[in-house]
Amino acid sequence: MRRHTITPRTGWQRKVERVGLTYHSLDDGSLYWDESAYWEFSAAEIDRLEAATAEIQRLALATGDVILDRDWLERMGIPKKAAGLIRETWQSEPPALYGRLDLAYDGRQIKLLEYNADTPTCLVEAAVAQWYWLEECFPKADQFNSLHEKLVAKWKDLLPYVSQPVYFARDGAEEDSMTIVYLQNTAHQAGLKTSGLAMRQIGWDSTNHRFVDGRRNELKTIFKLYPWEWILGDAFGDHALETMNAASQKPVAGKVQWIEPIWKMMWSNKALLAILWELFPNHELLLPAYLDGPHKMQNYVRKPLVGREGAGVQVFRNWAEEGNAAKANEFDAKAAGGSYVYQAMAPMAQADGKTAVFGSWLIDGEPAGMGIRESDGLITNNTSRFVPHLFR
Amino acid sequence: MRKSKEIPLTLLAAAAMASIGCNNGPRHCVDAQNHLMPDSYCEVSHGGGYYYVYGGSSGGHFGDSVVGASRSSVSFGGFGHGGGEGGGGE
Repeated sequence: MRRHTITPRTGWQRKVERVGLTYHSLDDGSLYWDESAYWEFSAAEIDRLEAATAEIQRLALATGDVILDRDWLERMGIPKKAAGLIRETWQSEPPALYGRLDLAYDGRQIKLLEYNADTPTCLVEAAVAQWYWLEECFPKADQFNSLHEKLVAKWKDLLPYVSQPVYFARDGAEEDSMTIVYLQNTAHQAGLKTSGLAMRQIGWDSTNHRFVDGRRNELKTIFKLYPWEWILGDAFGDHALETMNAASQKPVAGKVQWIEPIWKMMWSNKALLAILWELFPNHELLLPAYLDGPHKMQNYVRKPLVGREGAGVQVFRNWAEEGNAAKANEFDAKAAGGSYVYQAMAPMAQADGKTAVFGSWLIDGEPAGMGIRESDGLITNNTSRFVPHLFR
Repeated sequence: MRKSKEIPLTLLAAAAMASIGCNNGPRHCVDAQNHLMPDSYCEVSHGGGYYYVYGGSSGGHFGDSVVGASRSSVSFGGFGHGGGEGGGGE
């Protein structure tokens, strides 16, 4: 694999905005979408990444069974009040859509860094913006990217299993809003009736004991781009648990289907990394990881059990802290409860002073595409640039 | 074959607009006798006694009786942080 530098397309800002990537630049004017470079892979390298993604998904599925069989949710810092519903939804398999593995890959070894299973973003750029970039700049090349049609196909599969309209609930930054608008669009293309609203616009009808929108319509299926850890801590969190449709794949009167389902708390929690290592020690796709300290590791990364965009992640070299971890937001910090996973330093792709992380997407549990983020340091955060890719 | 087919995105912008729009229901501001009043009476202090009801109908003029509506038992704002500390995506 190789990183190339090229001249960006004339008027690239307008071009990516037109396909939904309105957040191509950061508030300080620096770039988030960076098409002054791209990564080129061979077909064999893409095959390896695809196979690794499928294998890690297999490991994660096996690990979910063990976590529940051995009652390890508490060990992961997952609140007791969620445990029964996690167990129930794991068994009943209600609708679930997507996830993203963050992988380290230096051209030789592929290693799992983490699994963003509950609220993955970077989707518009991976599914759409880089695809249009490829078509315009390298029409004869290929790209690891079947995200769009797999999303539409999955929504079609879900037609008998959801209530319509499916509500798409957002909260927060522009990137999150556009991600959920894109997902809503893929559901719409699959023939589903959809409606969008903000998390704050979800109402609780205490008389009828149900969630409603601003027009007092009952919400029966909700896709949320909003972490389960935050839901549990919110004022309506207990209502979400009380009214959850956990026992059935199909809609049940008076109950709410949430997508992603609550069992995704098992995979999005970074304790998963240590449990994977414990169950599959020395697996070629895993890094040594522990919950009770760094053990004998000299160079490692300490990650809060709950966190996003690199917040709270601390690098240690020769047992000493390197730099300062970005502050985690109060909601994630509370959910993490001061607990960490200690993960060995990974062999990362580095070129032109950048470190790259490969976000490998799964739709319906199947590998579906890739997006690449580049950082100046080791940690991918909310300022890390998205760089397109191709393979030949 | 890993390539995407043509990605139809004509609805994306429209969906964005629709999604970002507000979603208020059919509500009426009424006084204690169930007479239709301007919304401003329910939104600012007018000495109390004004509240929203949901559904139902009226003649459309202030002072008309609103029939078939119910007083809300719905509360909002129990989810969401408004992105004050960044979104929940990762």
